[in-house]
Amino acid sequence: MVKKIILFLLMSNILLADLYQTNCIPCHNKIDVTLEKLFFRYLLKYSSEKNMKNSLTEYLKNPTIDTTVMPEAFIKRYGIKRKTTLKDEELQKAINIYWEKYKVFGKLK
Amino acid sequence: MLVLKSLDIDLIKKEKKTLFSFFALYSFLTIIIITTISFLYYNFQKDLMLQEKRVLLEDYSNDFITIIKYMHLNFETQKDYPRDGRFESAIYDSDKIQIFSTLSSKEIQFDKSIYLSDNKIHFINQPESYYLGSKYIIIEINDDKLWLIKVKRNILLYGSLAFIFMTFIGYFLLQLFLKPLKDALYLLDRFIKDTTHELNTPVSTIVTNIEMIDKNILDEKLLKKINRIDIGAKTISNIYQDLTYLTLNNKIISQNENLNITEIIKQRIEYFKTLSNIKKIKINTILENNTTLYIDKIKFSKLIDNLLSNAIKYNIINGTIDILLTKNSIIIKNTGRGIKKEQIDKMFDRYSRFDKSVGGFGIGLNIVSMIAKEYNLSIKINSIENQETKVVITW
Repeated sequence: MVKKIILFLLMSNILLADLYQTNCIPCHNKIDVTLEKLFFRYLLKYSSEKNMKNSLTEYLKNPTIDTTVMPEAFIKRYGIKRKTTLKDEELQKAINIYWEKYKVFGKLK
Repeated sequence: MLVLKSLDIDLIKKEKKTLFSFFALYSFLTIIIITTISFLYYNFQKDLMLQEKRVLLEDYSNDFITIIKYMHLNFETQKDYPRDGRFESAIYDSDKIQIFSTLSSKEIQFDKSIYLSDNKIHFINQPESYYLGSKYIIIEINDDKLWLIKVKRNILLYGSLAFIFMTFIGYFLLQLFLKPLKDALYLLDRFIKDTTHELNTPVSTIVTNIEMIDKNILDEKLLKKINRIDIGAKTISNIYQDLTYLTLNNKIISQNENLNITEIIKQRIEYFKTLSNIKKIKINTILENNTTLYIDKIKFSKLIDNLLSNAIKYNIINGTIDILLTKNSIIIKNTGRGIKKEQIDKMFDRYSRFDKSVGGFGIGLNIVSMIAKEYNLSIKINSIENQETKVVITW
């Protein structure tokens, strides 16, 4: 039974990680700005986890020039991204993975 | 009260109680005012100190922001939270969730920009951008408390001075309030002094001349008339002596001696004989021979006179007076209408009279109490209404 639970959790993590790996990283690898740099741009503007996740969700679902955190030069070069094709639940999970990967909480010494 | 003393006026208990109540209330209000002012002064000084510290704390927070700004840009390689020996710090996000803290206080007052808590001064700054997600930067330093020592010293010094000053004001206010009462009592005493002075010569003449009359040669009808004049003269003489005692009391120097009070009591009974005879009062005496007491003769006579005079005055026709003298007490018991229990405590107050049907100024027992107080004699009055009154003096 214990083995089954461990296996289930492992599989879930792999699947969730895949959600972020397959849907976010491939596109961002094509541009010069890393996902970490992008994370800190959001953090600089939205401060808290709640604010940041909300604004990121909103932007990914409906990206506009007014709601982007990137500078004008970046937009001129790469343009505005396309709307996400992920379902709300999937999008939320991907954002959660993103937050957990780069958050400041617990990393300061 | 000092002023009243100088006028030979003793305030009765009630008046003293009222004055003390006024003074207690006045002092209480003064303390409330001084405490309020002290509290305002403390807050003002605390704010002043915080404003002085603000400049320093702003410098610290700016230094700190510069470091976290750098960390924000290089977080990949720089994860060591900036620590400074001069202060402790903390960073909180826009939801007031702690990102990191080295503070000793866990409760942060986000509604204030600078405040004092747990002997620490806290300064809250908001950087222009949320470096590392921090909307609030809290800088904490120790409070050296030098300002508090100064504040405490000033409050104690100036508070005490203000209290002393207000006490003086209170004393003058008290004198102002007492003036009408003082004037009234002064007028009364002045009137009594003038009256007694004018009574002196005629009363002395009447009493002396009656004593000089040889009563053996008088016929019965004339003897009765002379006795009546004698009683009247003695009553006036007694009142005169009471008033004189009252007005000159504080100026009479006591000539104390080991007085044979048995003899004095006998003499005073004899003196009041004519007065008691008129009411057909029987005086029973059991007097211990040669009982002595260290007391002034005039004052002891005054004490006995007043008690005997009352025992006769408030007695009934065909009543009795029992006088018992022991080594350490005198008991004078008389029949009569008695006194109500609640009136007994007020009996020694000056000018207090409970039986208006009988003459008098209400000063007799006041004189008795003054003499008793001077010689540490204890007076106890027991009375059964419509039966008897008993005065017990012990030493």
